Amino acid sequence: MGQQANFEKRVMPHLDAAYNLARWITRNDSDAEDVVQESFLRAYRFLGSLKESDARPWILAIVRNTAYTWLRKNRPADVVPIDDAGLLPEDTVTAGHVSPAESNPEVILLQSANRKLVNQALEDLPVGYREVLVMRELEDLSYKEISTVAGIPMGTVMSRLSRGRELLRVALGERMRRAS
Amino acid sequence: MSSKPNGPLEPEIARDATYHRAPPQLRARIEASVAGLARAERGPAMRRGFLMAAAFAAVSVLSWNLAVMHVASSGEEMRQDVLSAHMRSLISPGRIVDVESSDQHTVKPWFAGKIDYAPPVRDLGGDGYPLVGGRLDYVDGRKVAALAYRRNQHRVSLFIWPESGVSDSAPKVSTLKGYSLATWTKGNMRYWAACDAAPSELSRFADLMWTTSG
Repeated sequence: MGQQANFEKRVMPHLDAAYNLARWITRNDSDAEDVVQESFLRAYRFLGSLKESDARPWILAIVRNTAYTWLRKNRPADVVPIDDAGLLPEDTVTAGHVSPAESNPEVILLQSANRKLVNQALEDLPVGYREVLVMRELEDLSYKEISTVAGIPMGTVMSRLSRGRELLRVALGERMRRAS
Repeated sequence: MSSKPNGPLEPEIARDATYHRAPPQLRARIEASVAGLARAERGPAMRRGFLMAAAFAAVSVLSWNLAVMHVASSGEEMRQDVLSAHMRSLISPGRIVDVESSDQHTVKPWFAGKIDYAPPVRDLGGDGYPLVGGRLDYVDGRKVAALAYRRNQHRVSLFIWPESGVSDSAPKVSTLKGYSLATWTKGNMRYWAACDAAPSELSRFADLMWTTSG
């Protein structure tokens, strides 16, 4: 009774967040459902390990691990290791990127960047970048929380975020050019 | 600078990327499964089991990574997984079987193209365990073949997946939360069976399967 009510109160409110993360990692509706169902049953069994702090990073860590286990078994090619050694937190944007004038047709096209293109570009990013971007931008998790969920140091979270944003920007630019 | 404001070239993920919300049927499925687990847990034996699981799980979230890797295929985790899958099928209407037939020649081909191996399918109706049908299920992080059998009023779930490099081993029967579980290997296949009948009933089922399957 207490266990079930506790689960309902503390974990169930994060179902959307859990599904969103699983969906972005697996890139597939039914796989995401399987992963989330599995994760929530695990979470229920391990509810004792949930402290008084926010349950969201806790459940997202379980979802992420379940999703990765699933990926390794079913789509191992999706799990590309990221060489974080070559990344520095501030090693981003800057070089080569000149902000074009507002009247530039390319900019106008880019401004109308529709959801479809952004979604596709984000889905095409390596999962290690995709997941931190989703947690930061869509879930609004702090660096610290992302570090907990993904099991990587804060510095790595920051460098993956900026590198991920850069990769996304480049990918999106290419898609725009191809579309025009 | 990473703090540079979003310019025209800056894709705004928060604005443009889709936030995928959980479909309503997923919520319903999880709530039903949790209610089932909660029901199964009421009882002194279970309570002790849960406290042990909780104690084990009282590691930090950060060490979860390691824990999952080491525990995923361990016996206890697997037993939990098998039981959860069995209970999911009982709880969700229409989830007991995806293909309903007592004919092994109907059930076996149904799996073709859905999974990358061919599970041995046998009707044991003559021995009092009629085949009800087959379904796909999810055990230990993978999609597996599941067969449903009936024993009087009880349901039996049999999960089968390939496991290479293991020699055949006779059925081992155990109980968990008042359910009976059995596992064995035969012909490079791993079998797990779950049922709410007495362990002796499942033991007989397991022995029959073990002696008749490739």
